[in-house]
Amino acid sequence: MNDSPATVLSRIQQRSLGIGIVVSAICAWGAYVHWTRFLQAYLVAFFFWLNISLGCFAILMLQHMIKGRWGLVIRRSLEAGASTLPLMVLFFIPLLAGHARLYPPPPTTGFKAVYLNWPFFLGRAVFYFAVWVLMAWLLNKWSDDQDRTGDPVFQARLTRLSGPGLIIFGLTITFAAVDWVMSLETGFFSTIYGMIFMVAAALAAMAFITVMAMILARYKPLSEVATAERFHNYGNLLLVFVLLWAYLSFSQFLIIWAGNLQDEIPWYVSRAYGGWGVIALFLVLFHFAIPFVLLLNRPITKSSRALAGVAIALFIMGWVDLYWIIEPAFRPQGPQLSWMDIATPFGLGGLWMAVFLQKLRKRPLLPLHDPRFEEVLEYD
Amino acid sequence: MAGRRLYGLMAEFDTPEALLYAARAAREEGYRKFDAYSPFGIEGLAEAVGFPKTRLPVLVFFGGLFGCCGGFFMQWWANVIGYPLNIGGKPYDSWPAFIPITFELTILCAALTTVIGMIALNGLPAPYHPAFNVPRFALASRDHFFLLIEAEDPKFDPKETQEFLEALHAQEVSEVEA
Amino acid sequence: MEPVEPGKNAAVAEPVLAPGHSFGSVTDQISAIVLTRGTGKKWMGGFAVAIALLLMLNFAITVLFAKGVGIWGINIPVGWGFAIVNFVWWIGIGHAGTLISAFLLLMRQQWRSSVNRFAEAMTIFAVACAGMFPLLHMGRPWLFYWLFPYPDTMTLWPQFRSPLVWDVFAVSTYATVSILFWFVGLIPDLATLRDRATTKIKQVVYGILSMGWRGSAKHWKRYETASLLLAGLATPLVVSVHTVVSFDFTIAIEPGWHSTIFPPYFVAGAIYSGFAMVLCLAIPLRKYYGLEDFVTLRHMDTMAKIMLATGWIVAYSYIMETFMAFYSGNPFDRYMIMNRMFGPYATVYWILIAANLVIPQLLWIKKMRRNMLTLFLLSLCVQTGMWLERFVIIITSLSRDFVPSSWGMYYPTRWDWMTFLGSIGLFFTLFYLFIRFLPMISIHEMRELVHKTEEEPAA
Repeated sequence: MNDSPATVLSRIQQRSLGIGIVVSAICAWGAYVHWTRFLQAYLVAFFFWLNISLGCFAILMLQHMIKGRWGLVIRRSLEAGASTLPLMVLFFIPLLAGHARLYPPPPTTGFKAVYLNWPFFLGRAVFYFAVWVLMAWLLNKWSDDQDRTGDPVFQARLTRLSGPGLIIFGLTITFAAVDWVMSLETGFFSTIYGMIFMVAAALAAMAFITVMAMILARYKPLSEVATAERFHNYGNLLLVFVLLWAYLSFSQFLIIWAGNLQDEIPWYVSRAYGGWGVIALFLVLFHFAIPFVLLLNRPITKSSRALAGVAIALFIMGWVDLYWIIEPAFRPQGPQLSWMDIATPFGLGGLWMAVFLQKLRKRPLLPLHDPRFEEVLEYD
Repeated sequence: MAGRRLYGLMAEFDTPEALLYAARAAREEGYRKFDAYSPFGIEGLAEAVGFPKTRLPVLVFFGGLFGCCGGFFMQWWANVIGYPLNIGGKPYDSWPAFIPITFELTILCAALTTVIGMIALNGLPAPYHPAFNVPRFALASRDHFFLLIEAEDPKFDPKETQEFLEALHAQEVSEVEA
Repeated sequence: MEPVEPGKNAAVAEPVLAPGHSFGSVTDQISAIVLTRGTGKKWMGGFAVAIALLLMLNFAITVLFAKGVGIWGINIPVGWGFAIVNFVWWIGIGHAGTLISAFLLLMRQQWRSSVNRFAEAMTIFAVACAGMFPLLHMGRPWLFYWLFPYPDTMTLWPQFRSPLVWDVFAVSTYATVSILFWFVGLIPDLATLRDRATTKIKQVVYGILSMGWRGSAKHWKRYETASLLLAGLATPLVVSVHTVVSFDFTIAIEPGWHSTIFPPYFVAGAIYSGFAMVLCLAIPLRKYYGLEDFVTLRHMDTMAKIMLATGWIVAYSYIMETFMAFYSGNPFDRYMIMNRMFGPYATVYWILIAANLVIPQLLWIKKMRRNMLTLFLLSLCVQTGMWLERFVIIITSLSRDFVPSSWGMYYPTRWDWMTFLGSIGLFFTLFYLFIRFLPMISIHEMRELVHKTEEEPAA
């Protein structure tokens, strides 16, 4: 326990970078051998880490809006998470390269012929990333300025950007989900789809951030402010996101099940039977029921260790959820796990963590000029 | 007081802090049968009078569980056994369609248990309570704080308890008729 | 939505309670409205208008019972007219009250203490108005109990796959839990009124209602546990209620109804109109009863922001509906959207867009949120918009569905209007009685707020 957070973080960073480079190299070989299968696995892995980045970005803006004390401890981690968005642009390149292999060709007539054609698809992707990278950059830049100068004007700017920012986040992630995932199955459409992605991103990011907070809270300076009460707050946030995810997912299921229309129902027919059905049940249990019961218990949410356990489980289930949403498009008859399904998230994740920690290490772990700072020190 | 049994002694305080202090002191002194009265809930006061935990959440859990199981069973039985009817080709056991009512009945039963349980455990409605015999007690619902030590407490002694309460800087100590 | 935070930062620490209040002063000021101030002229005037509207409602209902639902504008294909529009509108309005009292309690947002009582009252009265409409719409309302599962002589049971039956359970649970929550909140305040009432009759009535509450520490402990539990139950309940209302539409395969976003969209819309109603009630109340110390500008500002946020969820849903209508490639969905925008009810649609999406954007401006007149007008605008939204959803989809030969127009009759306006009279009659006979701000929670404010060091 004598380690400083800086040394711990740099140790994790080096290991992550090592894992990332090695696993990515192996995956690159996989891509060379079996390009289509690689792309399918890669899409899940890409979305998994994109969810973390975008979720951090959204929760960061949320805590600027709400100004709750819970935001102080995790603000730096959220900022670092949002600042990985430029890396996601890089990660997106293989998907662009394999676009024609991965996605079914758009129909030749009608709205989809215009909407899903290649130049427009590409243009929109450029637009989403431009907006995300720009906003994440501004959020980080003003935060840096605030640290340096202590001028309250920067907090006001952050708050002002966050309101419209959340709206823009909601719309862009929705259309990104439609473009990059929903379009895998040409017949399917659902108006709630984007909201499910928003909540999934927030849930995955919150799980990740809770684990980070648990690690950082062992050392100064965060050990002084990361009280049991704070972890209780994170537990509650996780609970809210778990409930929202279950609520939105069940609503979509019930409506499509009851309507039983030929456009929509195949999406669930492939996902609710056979091997995919087992995974669906697994999701109900481990992405909703069990975390729900555990997060209702105060002793669990007040202990950082137990909470981190739940958070890790939710983090992994985030990947299972995406796997269940994306993969049946390629294999409706049942799941066939490839080694690349497992390897790609580690490859991307290692690199992602290295960039994340690089950003996190560069700055003091507590935003000293945050107006909440003194209050938290005094009253908790 | 002539002819009436003594229910206990009541001390009046100005601030919630004074009441909290007095309740803790009474407990330390060895009193067990006493209660504190305040115009709003004060954190830590229940613990100070020796009431750390209420059973209410457990009751509510079982209330909710009853609503959940009972609600689902009611629908399943009615539509599968009691009166099976083919609607739109849907299976008799359309469990997804039973979820909303199951949920509503869970909440309904849990909420009813909460309120009825709270009122019953509190022994309400209570048309009569000796504390109301003290005229100043009407201020317990405004801005004054009271501590009442019952005469039944083994440690109770009219004189000693009176002195004890006065030593706590009570504004006023009055006798409560049963 | 910031919680009350003490602190160095003057911008953050705007009070939720004006300084200088004591336990006694909050008790006296709030209970005086009920006990000593008497019946004011303005109260009488407003009450008279409300009663007049209520009488109109009684008249409309009497005629309805005598002649049947044929006096309304409903027809085939538009079988759901004003009655269902009003039902959804009213029940949506109720949602803000529950959210303020339950969700904000869980979030420990102290500012809620001064608005939750009358917001909860608003919920109950709105649910009463809402519940009336499906009953009236049934044609034979005296047979409403057929909807409940009970062992009847023909051994029939309700068909639980129908969302209309879910609705019965959702709305009656909502009404029950709202009343319980409200009553539990009132118990200590009723005791206060009992102890301060001067006439025998008031003492007896408030005495019976308060059930002998005496503020015992053990009672408070159970009481607060019960409040938290109820809040934890009411929060998912309120979401489920409008979700079930949305299922009334989505479970059907009607174009424009069968849309997966409806559950969160309806919930957000409900909160949107509900907060608009809370503001519409709070603005005149705090002025006429001098409650500016308790319901501060901070409250108004926060509620306006919540309105703006939920308004954007509604806007998002409009965008998704329109986009998916085209993306789906389904000709009926596409026609439904075009019909809304350019069909016979296009005017209503565009007024709705203006009232719900365009004009409320003024709430981004701080001055607009802090000026009581503009805020009041914007709230009215949102309520109108949300009423029209339900009109558009119900009428445009029903009047033109799959087969052109079965299309038909819907025009409300004067009986529709009288019932609708009459329900507003019912709401306000109940609300006027409430502010006259019960404390409209939770006294014991205000005392707690005074206590907490005192504990915290001064800024």
